[in-house]
Amino acid sequence: MKLQPRQQLLEIWEAAARASSQGKEWRWGGRQGSNSISDAEQLLCFMYPASELPEFRLDTPDATSDDVLEALAAIGDSVEIPKRLLTLLDAYLTTYSDKDGRPLFGGDSYFLPNEPGEEITSEQRALDVVDSYSMSVTLMLGTLGFLKVFRRSVTRQDIRAKISDLESRANVRLSAAMVGLLRSFTINVFEPGSPQGQALLRTANQAKVHDRRVHDDLQKSLEEVRAGLRDLTIGSGSQVDLDNPNLLFECGWAWGVVKNAPEVVTDLKVGEQPKGVAPEVPYLYFTANALVGVVDLWSERTRVLGLLDDDQQQLANALQRRWDITQNYWRTVATFGKDRWPLEDIPWRTTDGKESDYYSLGVTAMVVQYLVRTRAGDVDLSRVAGVLEELARSARITRRPVENDLSAVALHHPGVKVTLLGSEELGPQLIWQVADFAITLLKRTIWVATITQSNRTRERLHSLADQIWAHIQQRQFTHQQVKGLWDNPAGAFDDVGDEQTQVSWYFTERIVEFLVTLALTSRESPLRSQQLVELAGEMLAEAEHLLNREQVIRPVRARLGASSTITTIATRLNRARKIMGERPASAAALINQSLLELDQLAAARENASEAM
Amino acid sequence: MLVFAISDKGGTGRSVTSSNIVYRRALQGQDVCYLDFDFGSPTVGAIFRVSTASRGTTKGGMHRYLEGEIPEPTRIDVWTESDRDAIRAKPAGAGQMVLLPGDEGGGEFATFDGEMLKRCVRLFAGLHEQFDLIMVDLSAGRSFAAHLALAATAQLPRIPARWLVFHRWTRQHIIAANGLVRGDHGLLDVGVEHGHDRDALIDRIRFVRTAVLELGSGDFAHLRPAQRSWLNEIDRELRELATRHGVGLTTMLGKVPLDPVLQWREQLISDDDVAGTEIANPETVFAFDDLAKKIVDDTAWEGL
Repeated sequence: MKLQPRQQLLEIWEAAARASSQGKEWRWGGRQGSNSISDAEQLLCFMYPASELPEFRLDTPDATSDDVLEALAAIGDSVEIPKRLLTLLDAYLTTYSDKDGRPLFGGDSYFLPNEPGEEITSEQRALDVVDSYSMSVTLMLGTLGFLKVFRRSVTRQDIRAKISDLESRANVRLSAAMVGLLRSFTINVFEPGSPQGQALLRTANQAKVHDRRVHDDLQKSLEEVRAGLRDLTIGSGSQVDLDNPNLLFECGWAWGVVKNAPEVVTDLKVGEQPKGVAPEVPYLYFTANALVGVVDLWSERTRVLGLLDDDQQQLANALQRRWDITQNYWRTVATFGKDRWPLEDIPWRTTDGKESDYYSLGVTAMVVQYLVRTRAGDVDLSRVAGVLEELARSARITRRPVENDLSAVALHHPGVKVTLLGSEELGPQLIWQVADFAITLLKRTIWVATITQSNRTRERLHSLADQIWAHIQQRQFTHQQVKGLWDNPAGAFDDVGDEQTQVSWYFTERIVEFLVTLALTSRESPLRSQQLVELAGEMLAEAEHLLNREQVIRPVRARLGASSTITTIATRLNRARKIMGERPASAAALINQSLLELDQLAAARENASEAM
Repeated sequence: MLVFAISDKGGTGRSVTSSNIVYRRALQGQDVCYLDFDFGSPTVGAIFRVSTASRGTTKGGMHRYLEGEIPEPTRIDVWTESDRDAIRAKPAGAGQMVLLPGDEGGGEFATFDGEMLKRCVRLFAGLHEQFDLIMVDLSAGRSFAAHLALAATAQLPRIPARWLVFHRWTRQHIIAANGLVRGDHGLLDVGVEHGHDRDALIDRIRFVRTAVLELGSGDFAHLRPAQRSWLNEIDRELRELATRHGVGLTTMLGKVPLDPVLQWREQLISDDDVAGTEIANPETVFAFDDLAKKIVDDTAWEGL
C-alpha cells in the first residue's frame, strides 16, 4: 500500500487551514456556498481526525504533537487552536438555529433545480435533508467528546461557561438530528405485479426461474426483516401495514422528513418538528449515507465518554433497530439466490427503474457493512472484491476512459442526479447531485480489505485501493489557496472541460473520513498465519539447539570477539521467541540471521578439522 | 515589566537564554535592563562579553547595593562596553541595553531583612520608570534571591511581573521544574507566604524549555533509524510526563533548540552569527525573537 494516512491527513489539515482562514477571519463555504451540510463538512475535516485518532487530538493542548501544530500553524498554537474551535462551533450552532434555538438542517445551496436557471424558493432551501442530519450527528458527537475532554484543561471561568453553553446547544442539535432521522425513515409497500414489484423481482431473479418462485423465496428470506419492521414503534415507518404477506416492500431513508410523518414524542428539547414533503420512498443514496452516519451513535468512543443521556440513548436505540433491519433487507436482496448475486449484476436497478453504477456502490456499502458486522467468510468477501473491481473499471477509474465516454465521466462530474420527489410542491423540481463515487468506492475497498482473512483477497484490494487513490490524487487541486484539497475532476478526465477553482468540502471531508478509517486499521496487529507461526517455532528450535551446542563446545575466553557474537545471537533469539506469537514473519527473519551466523561458526570449525 | 528567570537545576541555560531574550527585545526597539541576582555566581557579564564585569564588578554591584553600602548599583551600557564588535555596534532603532552586575567576590546571602527588601523594592520601582523590560536572573534552585523577588513583587502590585521557569527536556528536569513551582517551599508556597494570591501568581508563571532536540530537524539526519525511533518514543513519554506535571504545552511560553554555540560558549547570538559566519542556527534566533515577543504579549499569557 502506498497510502500514508498520517502524512496525508497532516497535509490536508495544512491545506484546509490555509484555505479556511483569512487572517483572523474564517472563510466558510466552498464550491456551492455555505450551508448546514457544507459547513459541517468543513469543520469535520478538522474535528473528525481530532476525535478519532489519538495522534491528532486537539482537546488536550498539553499533548498536541509537533507535526500537528506545524500543520495547523495558520490557526494558532496548541492553546489557540481549541479556543478557535470553540468559536467556530459556536458560529456554526448559531448560524444553523432559528431565533428560538431550534436547530436547522436545510439543504440550501446543495439543492439544485432540475431545469438549470430556475429559481429555488426560500421554503425549498429550508427543507431538511437526511445528509444534514447524518453530518450533524457525526459533528455533534465529535463536538461533545471534544468539549468533554477539553474542559479538563481549562480553569478560566469564561471559557468554562462557553463550554457548558456549547455542550447544551450541541446536545439539542444532536437530539434534533436523531429525531429528524427517525422521521425520514420509510417503508415502501407495493404489489408484485406493479412496476416496482417487477423491478425488484427482476433484480432478485438472477437464476431466471419462474417469477412466482422467486417471489415466494424472497418473501421467505425477508420474513425476519418484515417482523422487525412490524415491531417499530416511534418515528415514521411505524404505522405501515405489513400484514399482507403477498405485498413486496423496501425500506430505508427518504431524502428528508416523510410527508405526514408523526412527531416523535420525547422529553428532549428539540423544538418544533417540521412537516415533511418527501414521499414514502427510500432512496439508496440517502439510506447508505444515513447508515454510515448513525454508526457513530453506538461507537466505542460514544459509550466510553458517555456522550448520550438516557433520552438520547432511547432515540439511538430506535435508530439502531432501523440500521439493523435496513442492512439486513438490502443484504438479503443484494445477495439473494444461489447463483450470481443480484449485486454482481451491475449496474443496480432501483425499483423506480433507474440504473447506475452509483446504486451498485450504494448497495455494496450496505452489504459490506453487514459483512463487517457478521465477520463474513472469505468466499463472500472475495465476491464483493470482484464487484468493487468491476465498479472501478466501469467507472473509468482503473481503466482509461474512451473518448467521449460521457456516461462514465458524468458519474464523477457533475455527478449522479437524484430527483427529490415531493419538493416540487414548494417550487421547481429539486435535484441532489452526488459526485463522491471514487472516494466512496475507495472507502468500501479498504473496509473489505481490513476484514478479510485471506491474504490474497487483501492484496487484491490493496492494489485496487492504490489505483483508486492515484485517481483521486489526480483530482487534487494544484493551484494556490486551495492546493492540496479537492475536487477537480478535470485533472483525471480529459472530457471534463471546466477546471474547478473552489474547494468541495463535500468531497474533501469524505477523503478525511477515509484516511481516518485507514489510520485506525493500520494500528491493529497484522494478520498472522498459523503456518508461519509453526514454521518459526521449528526454526527457533533448531537455532536454539545450535546455539546451545556452540556454547558447550566453545572454550570460555571472555575477551575474544566470538563470545559477543554468541551473545548477540542469544539476544536475537530471545527477541524472536518473544514476538513469535504476534509477528511470526519478523521472528523468522531474526532466526534466519542467527542461523546464518551460527552456520558460519560451524563451517569454520569443519574447515579447521579438515585441514588437520 | 519585571521578568524573573529561574530554574530548579543548574546548567539549564537560564542565564544565556534570558540574556538573549533581553538582547532581542532591545533589538526590537525596547529599553531593557538585566539584573544579575545570581548572587552565588555573578558571572553574567561574561555572556554579554563585558570584560570589566565578567566575574562581577569591582565598582559596587548588586551585593553591595542590597547591603546598603552604596546608594545605587553600577550600570553598564552593553552597547558601548561589550568587547564584541558585533554587539558594540548598536543598530539604529534599538533600545537601551543596560547590565546591572553583581559584585566580584560576592556570595549568596543567607537571609534578608526589611531594609534589604526596601532597597530591592526601590530598585525595581526605579528601574520600572526607565525601562520597558527588567530581566532579573535568579540563581538555580530555591534561593534567597527568589524569596526576595517574591517579597518585593508582592509590595509592587502595580508593576506587572512575570516568571519564566527554565528547564531542559529531560525526565529529571521536568519533575524538578514542577517541584520548583508547585512543590513544598516552591514559588507558589513562598509567594503566598509573602502575600501573593496563589491563582494570580500561577497565571504569571510560564515554562521555557531549553536545549531542546527537535526531532524533525536536520540535526537528526546522522542518527541511526533505531536511535530515531527510540527518541520519538522517549519524546512521547516526556510529553506525557510533562502534562502530568503541569509543564505541558499550555504552560509553556516557548522552547529554545539545542545550538552548538550556546552549548560550548554561552554568548549572545547576533544576526552576524547566523547570517554571516553561520556558526549559529537561524532557528535559535527565531526562538529567542519569539520568546522576546511573547514575554510581553498578553494573549500568550491568557491561558485556559
